Amino acid sequence: MSEAIEGDRTFADEFPAEARVVRAALLGSFLALTLGAVFGIIQTLHRTGVFRGLISSTDYYTSLTAHGVFLALSFTTFFLVGLFTWAVVRSLDRPLIDIRITWTWYGLMAAGMTMTGISILAGFTDALDMSADVLFTFYAPLQAHPMFYAGLAVFIVGSWIAGADYFRTWLAWKREHPDDRIPLQTFMVLTTMAMWYIASSAVAASVLVFLLPWSLGLIDQVNPTLTRTLFWFFGHPVVYFWLMPAYLLWYTVLPKIAGGRLFSDPLARVVFVLFLLLSTPVGIHHQYLDPGIAEGFKFISMTNTMFLLLPSLLTAFTVVASVEYGARQRGGTGLLGWLTDLPWRDPAFTGMMLAGLMFAAGGFSGMVNAGMNINYMIHNTIWVPGHFHLTVGTAVALTFMAATYWLWPQITNKPIYSRSIGLVQVVVWFVGMALMSNAMHAQGILGVPRRTAEPEYSGFDYPVMFGGFEELNVQIAIGGTLLFVSTVLFVGNLVLTMGNPKVSGLAEELPPALSGPDDAPRVLDNLGLWVGIALVLVVLAYALPLAAIINRGGLLGPGVGTYPVWFAPALDALANAATPSLGAITDAAASLVEVIR
Amino acid sequence: MHIHAYEKVWLAASVLLILFLLGSVTYGAVGPGIAMVSDGESAIDPGGIDEDERFSEPRVEQVGETEYEAYVVARQFGFQPDPIVVPANSTVTFYVTSADVIHGFEVAGTNANTMVVPGEVAEITVETDAPAEYGIVCNEYCGAAHHGMEGKLEVVSQSEFDGGRNGGDGE
Amino acid sequence: MGRNEAAHASASDVSGDTEEFDPIGTLTLIGIYFVILVLSWVYIYYIEFLGRDLIVVG
Ligand code: HEM
Ligand SMILES: [Cu+2]
Ligand SMILES: [Cu+2]
Repeated sequence: MSEAIEGDRTFADEFPAEARVVRAALLGSFLALTLGAVFGIIQTLHRTGVFRGLISSTDYYTSLTAHGVFLALSFTTFFLVGLFTWAVVRSLDRPLIDIRITWTWYGLMAAGMTMTGISILAGFTDALDMSADVLFTFYAPLQAHPMFYAGLAVFIVGSWIAGADYFRTWLAWKREHPDDRIPLQTFMVLTTMAMWYIASSAVAASVLVFLLPWSLGLIDQVNPTLTRTLFWFFGHPVVYFWLMPAYLLWYTVLPKIAGGRLFSDPLARVVFVLFLLLSTPVGIHHQYLDPGIAEGFKFISMTNTMFLLLPSLLTAFTVVASVEYGARQRGGTGLLGWLTDLPWRDPAFTGMMLAGLMFAAGGFSGMVNAGMNINYMIHNTIWVPGHFHLTVGTAVALTFMAATYWLWPQITNKPIYSRSIGLVQVVVWFVGMALMSNAMHAQGILGVPRRTAEPEYSGFDYPVMFGGFEELNVQIAIGGTLLFVSTVLFVGNLVLTMGNPKVSGLAEELPPALSGPDDAPRVLDNLGLWVGIALVLVVLAYALPLAAIINRGGLLGPGVGTYPVWFAPALDALANAATPSLGAITDAAASLVEVIR
Repeated sequence: MHIHAYEKVWLAASVLLILFLLGSVTYGAVGPGIAMVSDGESAIDPGGIDEDERFSEPRVEQVGETEYEAYVVARQFGFQPDPIVVPANSTVTFYVTSADVIHGFEVAGTNANTMVVPGEVAEITVETDAPAEYGIVCNEYCGAAHHGMEGKLEVVSQSEFDGGRNGGDGE
Repeated sequence: MGRNEAAHASASDVSGDTEEFDPIGTLTLIGIYFVILVLSWVYIYYIEFLGRDLIVVG
């Protein structure tokens, strides 16, 4: 091994230009995390009724849109492109083709997200005739300001160029190493980006063909089921787009921190291929309760979804086995006694392990979400945010934060300011999320809806179970507060780290797998083949449903109106539209309109 | 390709688990007879529901001895009719449509739950038991006063139902 | 830094280890997880979900 020679050179030493891009991407990501956490705590306290003084209930939806977009799209994707840039360059051991292209995609992504972000945040003020209170799913016929859609389009195009950057760098490497296997990290990056191209094509089409022209007034109406279906065509695979960088870290970095090495390189490749194949033809499971889509299509989608559990279940085994190997290398013994021989004082390790544990719990609620008819029980209840705060909100987010404690020194040559604060931070996140998510699941079973500023209603009370609505609200509020505190600790620690002087000797080598790539069938590296099969599966899953939807409602909708939520006069019209027979409610709406003015 | 024996065991267990989950859902469909909201109803013009035979006057109608149909309109920010009154121990089919944006129709704490999409009619059939009162909530964000969008489902005894109808009022 | 796995993971380097290491702890943990999953599912599907009012039958 060349560790002695190489060991003292970090990524920042070897590839300073690329390290700068990785830093910029990660900082963009953490800016989004900070903003998202601020809206997160505001809405947690608001919807639980603990404190409603900061925003009005109308502005709640502005906050929720910001929370969803900044965290689910911006935080995750910026971290992903930073991590992938690091992973490709590190594992190919060569620089990117042309750093100007790299900065171009970074610039596009940043500009796009800034446009979208401004259009959302403008909703808080009357000074600008602009808002985008459409939540991160932007279901038509609710309509956002055109800049919201335009920014999304620019952001996605930026991410496409990033993917092309990785593919071109790999092709250049391949010319230099014609007979080598694709290094594992690069393999993971390329399969993820291939999946991303397939998935994001649908939402890009929805935005560019329908929503943007419609918001600009070029077309009168859209078909709400069609744009919704195109969203979920993208919306399920996007959850794997968030998850796969976390998997990359669990497979390639976590075993090393545990003191071992990856258990099986071939299985890791199989898992990523399965994600490429199965992530997309499942989106209809978000539409189990949609009218206008045949039950048969829903059943097919469920079957695919259930088999999509396989790669995650396999991952659980491989990752834990790699950690066990590390523990045994460190002298761990016994059936489970080795668990005590792990580096639990290391925030990177503990954070990733806790993230994995929460993911296991999220696996359960995910199975419930996937079970077609049991969806009647939890659809659009707060059970669903309870679920995805375990998955993207912890398995992904906590892994990213934990990995930062390991990765940041590699790309800056600066040691982390305080690893103890880091340890506290990851544990506080875990405890906070355990409280918040558990109570959200329980409230969901009571029937408490998600996405609502005031989930208590005048006409009825929720059934009493699991402690009841009020008590669960308290748990959610405490959990959300801990999560916010944890975010502040994370960001504060990082800011202080940036003030540290540069030192040498921080370099860390990643060891090869126990069962190496030579053990993996060559066909696994045939990306063209897998993309081809993935496309066939997508066509099989979506051609008929999309044709049926267009056949029923037309490309541009069966006379559906337009409901802009982005300028005050429109809200007026919208209040008038409610019929007089709804007197009391209309009054409430009208007074809300007053408040907005 | 080398796969450890334990990993093969886990792979087999995982496949069994998946089959068990699919089996449960299938059991729910054929045993208790749970059906999904589907595409049985034809598309509708949301601009024209005020002239529509079923939805111009949202109401509950008796269509068989113990069978009832409820035509429900969701719009920003309420449901019609409100309350929805149906008799106990009957079979009720809800036809729910939207006059404007996407809404949800959820009878809180029960399994009656569907999306309400403009241009489509959601059809769900349920069986009522003893008299009870339920809240109905819109569980899809539908605009600035979404949190105020609620309704009521009242399952009343047959005699109360007949009495109420003669009185020409929901209660 | 900057080595790639492919370059180092020669067969001689790894094949021996693989046979020696049996992740019995992992199998135990994941077995426990399996049991929890099955029990929770049975509760949530057969007891909670099928036991609720207004089951949709058509
Ligand atoms: C400071 C930590 C956080 C807090 C306190 C928090 C709190 C919440 C709450 C209470 C909701 C439900 C709002 C509602 O449905 O009415 C919510 C929604 C959501 N959260 Fe978080 N969250 C946090 C972190 C995260 C993270 C890290 C992510 C993802 C990376 C995330 C993604 C989302 C998404 C996508 C939604 C759904 C938005 C929608 O329904 O449109 N959250 N959050
Ligand atoms: Cu999904
Ligand atoms: Cu509504």
